[in-house]
Amino acid sequence: MNAASAIPTVDLSRNRADEAGPVRIAVKGLNFYYGSFHGLKDVDIDFHDRQVTALIGPSGCGKSTLLRCFNRIYSLYPEQRAEGEILLDGRNILDPSIDLNELRSRIGMVFQKPTPFPMSIYDNVAFGLRLYEKLPKAELDVRVEESLRKAALWDEVKDKLRQAGTGLSGGQQQRLCIARTVAQRPEVILFDEPTSALDPISTGRIEELIEQLRDEFTIVIVTHNMQQAARISQFTAFMYLGQLIEFGPTNRMFMNPTERRTQDYITGRFG
Amino acid sequence: MDASNTIAATAQRRPGRLRRGRRVADRILRVGCTGATLVGALVLGSILLMLIIQGVRGFTPTMFTSPTPGPGSEGGGIANAILGSLVLTGIGIVVATPVGVMAGTFLAEYGRGSKLAALIRFLNDILLSAPSILIGLFVYTLMVRPMGTYSGWAGGVALAIIAVPVIVRTTEDMLRLVPGTLREAGAALGAPPSKVIMSVTWRAASAGIVTGIILALARIAGETAPLLFTALNNNSWFSADLMGGVANLPVMIYQFALSPYPNWQGLAWAGALLITATILALSIIARLVIKPQISR
Repeated sequence: MNAASAIPTVDLSRNRADEAGPVRIAVKGLNFYYGSFHGLKDVDIDFHDRQVTALIGPSGCGKSTLLRCFNRIYSLYPEQRAEGEILLDGRNILDPSIDLNELRSRIGMVFQKPTPFPMSIYDNVAFGLRLYEKLPKAELDVRVEESLRKAALWDEVKDKLRQAGTGLSGGQQQRLCIARTVAQRPEVILFDEPTSALDPISTGRIEELIEQLRDEFTIVIVTHNMQQAARISQFTAFMYLGQLIEFGPTNRMFMNPTERRTQDYITGRFG
Repeated sequence: MDASNTIAATAQRRPGRLRRGRRVADRILRVGCTGATLVGALVLGSILLMLIIQGVRGFTPTMFTSPTPGPGSEGGGIANAILGSLVLTGIGIVVATPVGVMAGTFLAEYGRGSKLAALIRFLNDILLSAPSILIGLFVYTLMVRPMGTYSGWAGGVALAIIAVPVIVRTTEDMLRLVPGTLREAGAALGAPPSKVIMSVTWRAASAGIVTGIILALARIAGETAPLLFTALNNNSWFSADLMGGVANLPVMIYQFALSPYPNWQGLAWAGALLITATILALSIIARLVIKPQISR
């Protein structure tokens, strides 16, 4: 059975990975433990600069776990630990001497459920900016507007910047969270199933947005939706039971996977 | 044939019998619950009714302007006790709020999952249900004896000790309701834990925390036992000197209600009504504060 026939609506030709830039994040021999549970097993994978890489696989396969290593957000929970190397521009971010707050200002993250803070739309976007930069009010205004424009939210909220961020719709809240992340001008943005809590129209807007953001940022996205992975990514990694099964340009992964398990998953035989 | 017929007949009859049994059980439980509710409401209702009838009779404009009368003298008011109660509960809540909110924050944020936090939570629950007279005695030994005098400060501290566990508990509970993803989102932007707590989690839980503080205020406004050993009373006008005894409503009610003078008894009723109305008002305010958070 041809893998592509399962997803006829997707035009794969526009997602070219030929011009893949330099490697931005290199993962080498990564192992991850939740207490005694071995969540990631010897993962090696490279993420290219200003490309979208999709992590796919069935629930519990470790794709979110891998994503949560890049900003070490797992370290909020004492029983979780990672071993191995994750090189960001040549520096191992798993090194204990790394300043976590600085790392996280360089690697942004957008979560599955929108997480607007209980404050105004303006303050939500300015939150990250105020942490490390002392900007004069006028410049702050400019940065907030710029970020909201990049997140395709400006036109909808420009007249109510002082209203609560929690009062927006789900899709708007998610774009607010993207604006908040973009405002810090990170190098990498991690998306953890960013559209799984949204309706189809909001999902479409977020996908368009991710495609635009690729011009500036290196993007890693975890998704359960294979059509989404095919639509927006240049590279796809298939994970299963904590292992990286196959990784390559999205075109090839969907048209002609080398691994049996990848093909079975993509064609919907399990997962 | 015969046997199978009987079995079939029982099988048919059985559901009906079961249903009847359930109906009876349902009725018994319903009558029992309604009856218990009525008994409870009747007790509360008669207390309130008595309080309102007697309290309103004792209510006079002068009670807000004159201090407590001496034995055998006519009229008088409870102005000094009202003012004293305001000051004592004020001291109590001002001392207890930062301690309670910080400790609750430790339990919910920094100490989450640690043994130390579990121990503190356990001790706090004991303090929450400790008889308040014990706390009065504790502060008596701690402050009144060494200082050689009943004092307003001692009264305020005793009330604070009663308010702290209430605030700790509600603060922790409310912070636990804040979704973990919100903390992760704060951390993911590079904000240190202190920043996440102060500008995100506290803010998300603010209505609940404020409600806890108001409920603690309502709780200590009516406490008598801890004040008997600490602030005691004072028949003269309230003075800014908190190093002496301070008049307050609960102890005034206690003393005046036991007195043989009709005007004192009337003032005790009026004071009791005043406290009850204040606590009712505080509870209503607490509900109004928490409402927008629930509907969101």
